[in-house]
Amino acid sequence: MTQTLVASPPPARPAGRGPGRAGRPGRRGRGSAANGGLFRLTPTSGLGLGVALVWFSVLVMLPLAAVIGAAAEGGWASFWGTLTDAQTFAALRLTVVEAFLVTVVNAFVGTVVAWVLVRDHFWGKRVLDVVIDIPFALPTIVAGLVLLSLWGPDSPVGVNIVNTREGIFLALLFVTLPFVVRTVQPVLIELDADVEEAAASLGASRFTTFRRVILPSLVPAIAAGSSLGFARAISEFGSLVLISGNTPYQTEVASLKILKFLEGDNQAGAAAVAVLLLLVAVVTIVALDLISRRVARRG
Amino acid sequence: MNILIAGVNKSYGDFVALDNINVSLPTGQLTALLGPSGGGKSTLLRIIAGLESADSGSVEIEGIDATKLPPQKRNVGFVFQHYAVFKHMTVAKNVAFGLEIRKRPKAEVKTKVAELLELVHLSQFAHRLPSQLSGGQRQRLALARALAVEPNVLLLDEPFGALDAKVRKELRDWLRRLHDEVHVTTVFVTHDQEEALEVADEIVVINEGRIEQVGTPDQLYDEPANDFVMGFLGEVTRLGPFRLRPHDIELSTTPGAPGVLSGVIERSLRVGFEVRLAVDVEGQGEPALVVLSRTHARALDLEVGTRVWLRPTAGATSVPVLEVASA
Repeated sequence: MTQTLVASPPPARPAGRGPGRAGRPGRRGRGSAANGGLFRLTPTSGLGLGVALVWFSVLVMLPLAAVIGAAAEGGWASFWGTLTDAQTFAALRLTVVEAFLVTVVNAFVGTVVAWVLVRDHFWGKRVLDVVIDIPFALPTIVAGLVLLSLWGPDSPVGVNIVNTREGIFLALLFVTLPFVVRTVQPVLIELDADVEEAAASLGASRFTTFRRVILPSLVPAIAAGSSLGFARAISEFGSLVLISGNTPYQTEVASLKILKFLEGDNQAGAAAVAVLLLLVAVVTIVALDLISRRVARRG
Repeated sequence: MNILIAGVNKSYGDFVALDNINVSLPTGQLTALLGPSGGGKSTLLRIIAGLESADSGSVEIEGIDATKLPPQKRNVGFVFQHYAVFKHMTVAKNVAFGLEIRKRPKAEVKTKVAELLELVHLSQFAHRLPSQLSGGQRQRLALARALAVEPNVLLLDEPFGALDAKVRKELRDWLRRLHDEVHVTTVFVTHDQEEALEVADEIVVINEGRIEQVGTPDQLYDEPANDFVMGFLGEVTRLGPFRLRPHDIELSTTPGAPGVLSGVIERSLRVGFEVRLAVDVEGQGEPALVVLSRTHARALDLEVGTRVWLRPTAGATSVPVLEVASA
């Protein structure tokens, strides 16, 4: 791996816009590898790269390859057949649609919560700042239990969400709440107040300043938090075990479908669903990254 | 037609930032607010811009009472010490920002932006992002952005404070020339007396929330109203009962006219073309500081231990030493 990296020809200048002055590559984005000289590795950095790649391969790449292998075992027809099976397809569609909706809500509400935590001063702010992390810290099965105790069959407020799509939506919102908040918060703290003052003195209203100056700075963080939240939402299992009720065509989600396949000793079917989820996650992350870069650049 | 500040007070808790400020800043001039850090000069500038509000008093800009106006309505350009450029916008977009908000026609914006970039010598960087510019270039960009909206008043808060000495000096000269071209009423804050003396038409010296003196650079330097202004505008030393500038002391190696004070050279330091002497004057606690040119010092053959006689040169600016102010 190191060998190929060393041998590869120095790539062209990063796709920075405008004429970059020679010897001074654009500092924006992923341009850090612009210089051919950067590929010459010292012994220590070579070792570091080796460790990182081995670690990454053993933990991530090999298992991923294995699951793709397992999915391919039965051949294309079996793979396709599993995914287009009405019940599986319903589960996949429900998962992706719910995750998408949850992500949209989070992108909006998470930004508002982060804004309030950074910009406003109120009694109990520090407590709220800690409480935000609870959905992170709780084992998800406990999260399910928590929701169940308020919105379950013995609900003290008389609302039972078990075995409903609203229940799934709520559980996903609960477990993904902190992602956008926690990615946007530090960026918001770092924003210079004088940039907003500059916009104001140039005649921009509060709203215009937010839309044209603040939001473009936040979009990359919102996108990063959203993609983490989305990935978490399509893979959520623990809290949904208790909430979703797992009714085929109604409230069955992909992760529970995988469990069902495994219980029915259908390894290939489980792997097929897993691969599709993987694909959706990758596509979403890449798409959000592209969107955020475009928006952040255009302003 | 000017900026009229009347009875402005501002406190932050117990700290009094501005204490009953009354001053009129003339139209079309380049005025410096000069003073030590924490003296209130930035606060005053921000109150003029509407970025802070005064606890009491009023601000009038070009005949309009602006006391209650938000910054958006004051039509002032503001330049910050740390540039405050919009990082995600290109240089041209930054400059166009104020015009686009005012919904000016596209063609007009384009022409105006090109004009301004020409003015600040950034035309070839129009499509760069601010992160690809140097500090001095970023500050010129900030200036072009502020000028784009054709402000009644241009306010600059320590505009060269974050730049290195050489760039600072270049930009200072350039600001002076720019002002001679554009003639917009300009107020800038600085703690650097050299910057104020060199660039400004008029200087307002502010210390501890109060105005110490208002005047042209010459007036301030030659006729300082008090000890503080004298000390802040340049080096000051003590000779007998007076405080005066070290280069306003005449030094001779023979006793001469009455009124001269005798002393012994205690230290001698050469800095470039000048020689700085510390003279232990009889009957005076602190040594007197004398600055001579290198050639003059060589002609007199001065060295540590030489006995010399000192007196103020004719027409020297001096203020009496206050009895409390002993070193």
